[in-house]
Amino acid sequence: MINKLKRYEKIEFLGEGQFATVYKAKDIETDNIVAVKKIKIGSRQEAQDGINRTALREIKLLQELHHKNLIGLLDVFGHMSNVSLVFDFMDTDLEVIIKDNTIILTTANIKSYILQTIQGLEYLHLNWMLHRDLKPNNLLVNAAGVLKIGDFGLAKLFGSPNRINTHQVVTRWYRAPELLFGAKQYSTCIDMWAVGCILAELLLRVPLFPGESDLDQLTKIFSVFGNPTEENWPGLKSLSDFIEFKPFTPIPLKNIFTAAGDDLLDLLEGLLVLNPIKRKECTECLQMPFFSNKPAPTLGTKLPLPQNIRKTKEEKPSLKRKLLDSAEGGTLSKRLFF
Amino acid sequence: MMGAGRIGLPGITDNPLSVSWHDSAWIPNLNTSNVMDYFSERSNPFFDRTCNNEIVKMQRLNPDQLQNMTGLEYVLLHVQEPILYVIRKQQRYSPQQVTSLADYYIIAGTVYQAPDLASVLNSRLLSAVHHLQSAFETASSFARYHPSKGYSWDFKSQRGTDKAKPKEEKPREEPSSLFQRQRVDMLLGELIRKFPLPAPPQPKIQAPPVKTDVENGQTENKDIKTEIKQEKIKPPPEKKPRIN
Repeated sequence: MINKLKRYEKIEFLGEGQFATVYKAKDIETDNIVAVKKIKIGSRQEAQDGINRTALREIKLLQELHHKNLIGLLDVFGHMSNVSLVFDFMDTDLEVIIKDNTIILTTANIKSYILQTIQGLEYLHLNWMLHRDLKPNNLLVNAAGVLKIGDFGLAKLFGSPNRINTHQVVTRWYRAPELLFGAKQYSTCIDMWAVGCILAELLLRVPLFPGESDLDQLTKIFSVFGNPTEENWPGLKSLSDFIEFKPFTPIPLKNIFTAAGDDLLDLLEGLLVLNPIKRKECTECLQMPFFSNKPAPTLGTKLPLPQNIRKTKEEKPSLKRKLLDSAEGGTLSKRLFF
Repeated sequence: MMGAGRIGLPGITDNPLSVSWHDSAWIPNLNTSNVMDYFSERSNPFFDRTCNNEIVKMQRLNPDQLQNMTGLEYVLLHVQEPILYVIRKQQRYSPQQVTSLADYYIIAGTVYQAPDLASVLNSRLLSAVHHLQSAFETASSFARYHPSKGYSWDFKSQRGTDKAKPKEEKPREEPSSLFQRQRVDMLLGELIRKFPLPAPPQPKIQAPPVKTDVENGQTENKDIKTEIKQEKIKPPPEKKPRIN
């Protein structure tokens, strides 16, 4: 344990959230830069339940997953009452890139990001795992342009026929319609919907469906795709939270994504299908013409970087800006011992 | 020389030079600030919606970003309110380097693609050959042969119709105006400047014309503008001065 503690030399504080503090550190054995996520045990009451559930999920699942497009869990060590996870260090994430107006996302750039996302996700799905929280903020990108799916706090194995899952997963804007209708049994298609929303956001630079409530979320979805019916989505009305919406007329996607080529629109239409059964799987997506057509996906090293990283290249960036964002949660837990 | 296909029927012909497009709803309000929006209407067959302009618009970026992108873009090249707008389609390689791909002109709201030099030459050569051929055919219809006299012309027997025609037709076919010839010479000059000919065996004779062409090329843009104006002011249709 003492060895592990000394092995990672703290460089700077990156961010703090409800469950963890993240530091940038240097692995003195390999000289690699890593991110150390120190899980907080929390109050005495919480501590009685043992280690935080999301951290447990990350440790459990990530130890078995190895893919260049999934965040690598390099090490886990404990000290006193803390558990720390050591991750690949990532400079930025897709949310920062999308919001940076000085960056132009060309079709080639978008193709590169979405290709890496789907490749990582395909590996995950082939290993019977759902991510359940895909969003731009969780797609981490390093200075070499490698995209890795991060934050496995909600990830779960799927495929057991009787298992009931919660539908309260995935950040609302990226949540699939069946989840919003309360589906308890679902599979990879919920991740695919999220990928569709992320692809749309890469194109528009704003979220496609920024719902303010779960009902508003469904309204926004149906205002683009029209209302689902028993015909195009059999079993729809048996979902526990199903309600009828006022009728909408669908808008063709090419009116929304005015600069998108037809092959790109085909991919979007394959991902954003209301009926989860008809939604395309990762493997199917990767075989679509979009990925073999010109332009070729941008090489990692040529992908654009956000301003702050372009300037300091190796100074400022954060593993999880989300942790910085939710600073309220962070300040509350300052009293915790480390 | 190109038949203007009527509105919005792309697919009638694959040749963009024989198509025109307009949207009557826009025409009364066209001006410099909205002409690019007009051109980027989805039904315009000349507009490639995967171009950089549309990407910038869709991503709500600053239009100045176009300079930093690479790929296909459209720029407003020339404006002559309220009737003429020229839009250029170009491939951008860097903020400084662009290659133009095509020019489009909007006259009175109708969009046409400006023909490339090869099409112009092709068309001119074709019509020249066509007229030469019909001249030969007409002439040969007047030729007579008699075993004792040999060949002779006989214009009397078919005078009424055939004789009148060739004389009238020839002046009607106006080969080119001074303006057109200057333009073509200038374009040729610019092309030679961009893609110089391989050095010929007698460089002394070749050198001077190339030099003057370069000069033409430099002042090119201003020339276009003024010349277009001049043409508009001069009596346009019935000038048929020179026949070669």
